[in-house]
Amino acid sequence: MRLVRDLGRRKLRSTLTITGIMIGIMALVVFGSMANKIDALVKGGSDYYKDKITVSAKGGFMGLGGVLSTRMVAQISPLKGVDVVVPGVSMLLSDEVSGVSMGTPSMIQGSVANADQGREKFAMHYATGRALLPSDEGSNVVVLGSDLARQKKAKVGDTVTLRNVDFKVVGILEPTLTAPDNSAMVPMVAAQELYVKTLPALVADKLNTYEIATGLVVYPKPGTDPEAVANEIDAKVAGISTMTGKDFDQQIGAATSMLNAILIGIGLLSLIIGGLSVINTMAMSVAERTREIGIKRAIGASRWRIRREIVIESAIIGLIGGLLGLALGFVITTMGNDAGRESSTILFDLTFGTAFSSVAFATILGAAAGFVPAWSASRLDPVTALRYE
Amino acid sequence: MAILEGRNLRKTYRLSRKNTVEALKGVEVVIEKGEMVAIMGPSGSGKSTLMHILGLLHAPDPNHGPAPELYIGGENMASLSDNARTKIRARRMGFVFQDFNLVPTLTALENVTLACDYAGIGGKQAKQAGVAALALVGLADRADHKPSELSGGEQQRVAVARALVNKPEIILADEPTGNLDSERSAEILALLRQFNREHGQTIVLVTHDSEVGEACDRVIRMRDGRIRTAITGAGAPVMAAPAVAVPA
Ligand SMILES: Nc1ncnc2c1ncn2[C@@H]1O[C@H](COP(=O)(O)OP(=O)(O)OP(=O)(O)O)[C@@H](O)[C@H]1O
Ligand SMILES: [Mg+2]
Repeated sequence: MRLVRDLGRRKLRSTLTITGIMIGIMALVVFGSMANKIDALVKGGSDYYKDKITVSAKGGFMGLGGVLSTRMVAQISPLKGVDVVVPGVSMLLSDEVSGVSMGTPSMIQGSVANADQGREKFAMHYATGRALLPSDEGSNVVVLGSDLARQKKAKVGDTVTLRNVDFKVVGILEPTLTAPDNSAMVPMVAAQELYVKTLPALVADKLNTYEIATGLVVYPKPGTDPEAVANEIDAKVAGISTMTGKDFDQQIGAATSMLNAILIGIGLLSLIIGGLSVINTMAMSVAERTREIGIKRAIGASRWRIRREIVIESAIIGLIGGLLGLALGFVITTMGNDAGRESSTILFDLTFGTAFSSVAFATILGAAAGFVPAWSASRLDPVTALRYE
Repeated sequence: MAILEGRNLRKTYRLSRKNTVEALKGVEVVIEKGEMVAIMGPSGSGKSTLMHILGLLHAPDPNHGPAPELYIGGENMASLSDNARTKIRARRMGFVFQDFNLVPTLTALENVTLACDYAGIGGKQAKQAGVAALALVGLADRADHKPSELSGGEQQRVAVARALVNKPEIILADEPTGNLDSERSAEILALLRQFNREHGQTIVLVTHDSEVGEACDRVIRMRDGRIRTAITGAGAPVMAAPAVAVPA
């Protein structure tokens, strides 16, 4: 309590210092939460693509871009190492790209249920309702990802409009923190019918709607290297490009870890500035208290006691700043996510780890900043300090 | 029995290479247990400097002459570490300074118990001792006041309570009444005298006030960094005192 009272002695200065730490920690919390979200997205993608090969039309990526045909299944299936091939249709939920699009845009994904023959290992859990079934082919039903369901305020049994067509919601997924959260899963035929309408009439006329695929997912035989299978497909099939889990990690992982480093760097930088301001505050408060330190030393306070007192006081400044920064960061990330929910743009994931380590870091930073002034205070000659005006 | 014994105590302050002040030029002093002694002398004669050495706040200079010796209760203080000297200050000494020197953010009681804390006494015991010490100086009802809410005389009484709270063997007071009017001075002096009588504490105080000096058992007079005359309360020269055996 005494220490807290000492902080109260120079209210303005303590407040400014605490504010400095608070802003630094807030930046760390906000940027850290953003990095968490990106990490979760990337990790989800990495898990999903790990054991499979995605085939897109040449120039396309991750099943988006040009049009392929379901007839390719017959072309790829016999290739060495290929186990199961699942054609699918993916398209953006809306053609209007909504402002900032962090993470994954909202997508419509179509494929025949259970066509993977149990090979898909990416687990999806249903918050309510059920999964799509093969018998759903031909009807307009949809399973919504958690963010999308929230955005459309849809419950199981409701009807939602996807690209001007009504779909009945049969299931809603639990959050996965990655792509499916923003996806609408529909039967293959429904997806093909939606997709063909997005094409110019000249192109569409030449296609058989029910053979359209925008991508194929290839599951290699167990124990086969996906890279080798991808090479085989690239070599034998014209007009396509393949992506493996490794490609995904290289392209997306490298870019995001760079982004994360920049985000965390900004947060740390602001904290270092906060830390310097703690050193300044504590140095001033030690200078101001020279006489008091002299009294304490004279009546029997050891050097160690003096040091401890100052380091603890300084750590408390850090702790208070850290807690306030966390609170502010929490408000900002929550408000940001609430605002982004409208457009399914969830930017932040404030984890316990981020919260705890930010506050712990602020406290340690405060204590560390106190060491220099604490050391000089403990070296003061008591007699000289007593005379100090 | 001598509680404080010093020989060859020298102190030179070095302001710059050429500018040095010889504040103590080889002082010999013996103070008996239970004595109340005043140190008097003109300004700049080295009274405070001697007080700081006796109070282990400064070490005497070791060079340019015979080796300094300092004994407290017969124990040699010559080569103690800072920590050991701090411990002796905390447990065996009490200090009173001219300008009160209380910690401004702490209440009167907290200022007093701070000394208990440093002496290794905490919690209830410290609080009881603190309350008792404040009662002794007549400030029981001011325990929760901050120094800024007390008069100068009251602040000095809190400082006296802080010096007494651990019942130390030695109390060192550097002009404890220097900033007080004669009535307040008399109060402080009476408190110290009472404690000296009741508990047999040794009290060494620096003063400019000859009335204060007369109230003590003995006056040590200093001039120019040396002890000039020293008379006991009985009028006998104090130089007789070194007859007491000095443990080597
Ligand atoms: N820290 C210091 N640095 C330099 N010189 C000092 C220091 N402390 C004391 N002196 C000098 O040493 C001499 C003795 O000082 P001291 O404080 O012991 O005198 P004093 O007898 O207590 O005087 P006063 O009655 O004015 O308090 C003085 O000349 C003083 O200027
Ligand atoms: Mg003096």
